[in-house]
Amino acid sequence: MEIPSPHTGPRPPRLVLPGSAPPPTRREQLEAALHRFLSLLWPPRLRHGAVAFAAAVIGLGAYGLWFWSQLPIRLPSEMDWQAATAFLARSAKPGDAVALSPPWAERARLILPPSLPVMALPRYQGEDLVNVRRIWLLSLPNAPGFDRELDRQLAVRSSGGDRPLELGGLELTRFDLASPLVPRAFLPDQLAAARVTLGDRPCEADAAGVFRCPDAPAGLRIAREVRAVEFLPRPCLFVHLQPQARRPITLRFHDVPLGTKLHGHTAIVGEAMLRGSAPVRLSVKVGDEEIGVAEEPAATPGWHAFQFDTTSAAGQARDVTFTVTSDDPDERPLCFDAMTLP
Amino acid sequence: MNPTRDRLRRMVDGLPPRSVRRRLALGWAVVTLVVAAATAPAVGISRDESVYLYAGERYADWWKEVAVHPMQAWSHLDGAYGVNHEHPGLAKLVYGATHALLAPDAAGQHGLTSHLQAFRFGAFLFAALLSVLLALAGHELAGTAGGLLAPALFWLVPRHFFHGHPALLDMPVTALWFATVLSYRRWLSVKPGEPGKTGRSARRFGWGLVTGLAFGAAISVKHNAWFLPPLLLVHFVATHLRRVQRDRLAALAPALPALVVGLGVFVATWPWLWHDSLPRLRDYFQYHLRHENYPWMYLGQMLRDPPFPVAYPFVVTALTVPAAVLAAMVGGLLHAGSRLLVAIRRPERDAGISGSDELLYLLNGLFSIALIALPQVPHFGGVKHWLPSMPFLAVLGARALVSAGRTLWPARAAAVTAVLAIFTLAPALAAVVHIHPFGTAAYNELAGGAAGAASLGMQRQFWGDDMVAALDTINAHALPNARVWYQEATRLATVAYQRDGRLRPDLRWAETAEQADVSVWHHHAEFMDKEFTTWTQFRTAQPVAGVYLDEVPLIEVYARAGAWR
Repeated sequence: MEIPSPHTGPRPPRLVLPGSAPPPTRREQLEAALHRFLSLLWPPRLRHGAVAFAAAVIGLGAYGLWFWSQLPIRLPSEMDWQAATAFLARSAKPGDAVALSPPWAERARLILPPSLPVMALPRYQGEDLVNVRRIWLLSLPNAPGFDRELDRQLAVRSSGGDRPLELGGLELTRFDLASPLVPRAFLPDQLAAARVTLGDRPCEADAAGVFRCPDAPAGLRIAREVRAVEFLPRPCLFVHLQPQARRPITLRFHDVPLGTKLHGHTAIVGEAMLRGSAPVRLSVKVGDEEIGVAEEPAATPGWHAFQFDTTSAAGQARDVTFTVTSDDPDERPLCFDAMTLP
Repeated sequence: MNPTRDRLRRMVDGLPPRSVRRRLALGWAVVTLVVAAATAPAVGISRDESVYLYAGERYADWWKEVAVHPMQAWSHLDGAYGVNHEHPGLAKLVYGATHALLAPDAAGQHGLTSHLQAFRFGAFLFAALLSVLLALAGHELAGTAGGLLAPALFWLVPRHFFHGHPALLDMPVTALWFATVLSYRRWLSVKPGEPGKTGRSARRFGWGLVTGLAFGAAISVKHNAWFLPPLLLVHFVATHLRRVQRDRLAALAPALPALVVGLGVFVATWPWLWHDSLPRLRDYFQYHLRHENYPWMYLGQMLRDPPFPVAYPFVVTALTVPAAVLAAMVGGLLHAGSRLLVAIRRPERDAGISGSDELLYLLNGLFSIALIALPQVPHFGGVKHWLPSMPFLAVLGARALVSAGRTLWPARAAAVTAVLAIFTLAPALAAVVHIHPFGTAAYNELAGGAAGAASLGMQRQFWGDDMVAALDTINAHALPNARVWYQEATRLATVAYQRDGRLRPDLRWAETAEQADVSVWHHHAEFMDKEFTTWTQFRTAQPVAGVYLDEVPLIEVYARAGAWR
């Protein structure tokens, strides 16, 4: 059906009365409106400042009201935590660990099953993740400041996994590590069976497994501890050198199953990491042969890696000896780990 | 005409005080005291407060002895005032005095309130004084709305609200700094009297005296008030340039009596200086000039030694003051700056603008922040170290809100101002309610609250007060006679909690994780090793309880196997 046009003929000519200005064209009207609008903006007047100020106050105030009203909804509820706990208790296997994103969400330690190790690291690139085969990334995706950086880092290291599981304000994603680091021996865990000496005098382990040495200051101890290195927990062999006992400290581990590499890290713990004038020297022997020396530099905070080739002894069980010395033993609490890799 | 309403209005009008500004001031004082008293019990005892409580009680006991046995008291002076002699005595003496008046006696009788609340009543008085001054200044600059808004803008900043409770030095010195500047302003506003006109001279002398007393009280509370004379000198010289050029140093002579009175108050209220005065004074200044730099987290970086980032106080202010309040304060600064420019360029055209006032508010609003921005000045403790700037910013913010209302819609100025005030204050109030009592962990919506700030790598909290939220759990679950490693909470703080019955008396003090059955970990990045040492000693990384703000851990409690019921 054809709709009839309202215009039945050609447009009539504009009526102009003698002596009067012609009515403005649409273009002129638009120009006038634009001019009026621009004159409101320029030159700047007090009113402009007041409008900008009011807009800032109202905008930020509205955002503030939205933020504080939404915050409880964005964060996980108690029920969300319980759901994640139940799911992990059912699904986790030996070799699993939980990673937190953001890393500060450590309420997980309180709530999750105690059998599951919880990692709260700010990055997973370059981390050994000893004995971990699968990682459950527990995220608070709606928390202020949240980003997906840890997801990306773990995805790079994984060969597979599951799609994220949403549990209210929590999200669980499984990552199967492509190359899990499973050492043949992690030496800090074998300290109890090691022989520890200060100079040539043997040190004895107390009931807590802490080695103390005869005629040495009380502060001198050798123990398996978790210590803070650049704010992160590092399970390590803790050797607290003392200026009053300037003799080498030796830790000899018996019948350590060897692979192709001996890999480890060194660090100085606490404020002492910022001080010192000489490195701490960590000599490593397999049997009676020195295979390398790791030096923990003075005044250089960090978890410094070392690695030595043990291919010639791969497949054998040999004694591994670490000797700690320093020309500046004053306040040099050394934390080091070592593991033999296939 | 409603006769009942008319009668009511006449009745209210007849009540003292009769002027609006005084009613505002009184109203704010009462509100401040009531709110502070009602919300204080939830606030924990920080490291420094625990020391000030102890010192305050010792000072008050000494003054009681002075009243009874003055000669004997002299020999005990050092014993009493040697406690916390790094800081002058006035605020601590006030806390000791309110404690002596309100707390139960040695037999646990006749007390009006708990020991902690009795000490803190002195702090509430300083907070109320600040409210009064804010209301008066706000009223003076922006009328009734200004008198209502200025205290609200100040107190609805969660960190300011927090600092209104504990018996510390920061809020008192803020109140007294503000008092000094306001009385200096009144002193300036009274022109020197002509010969024979004694009234004006007496008034000027009176305000000079008040200025001196306020300044003396300020330096008797905390050392940052020593910056007041040079700051006011800058203002005086800038606003009296011709006179200073003409009379040189003589132009400053009228300020001398106030300075002398101030120094007199300083010495009079700090008996520690009554003998060996010069060496002790030297030690006092040297202590603060060489103050230790405590490690402090800032944007994921641990600040340990100078030079510190210049942006630090500006960034921390921007991340802790509620965003709309921040906008009001920044707007107030810009408004004052523009008025100052107008006063300088066209003094004849805008006679209503006082360039002197604008400069005074601007200088004081920026000085304390700028001081902490200096790279060599220790950076720790959050906003409390530049708190003296904030009342000035609050007053300027209040005036900016009122002025915006008047400019945007002159016929409905009050309504527009009210709308702006609601948008400014409502989210701030929500933040205060949400965050209380964890004031040292407070971050604004721009930071993303505590959670966003944790992701940004900001300082989580400081000085141990948040442990208060774990006390009930510890009381309920720790084994009898358990040894507790309280870490950031001092022994004095635990004794204060036990004295008020808030912490079980059988719980014993432990110095290390090795000695402890229960370990109370306060989340500080610089002390992470304490948490991991606890894991080693207790053979577990699983806490038994925790205190969390928006999922962010503040406190985590660990226990040895069998030490937690």
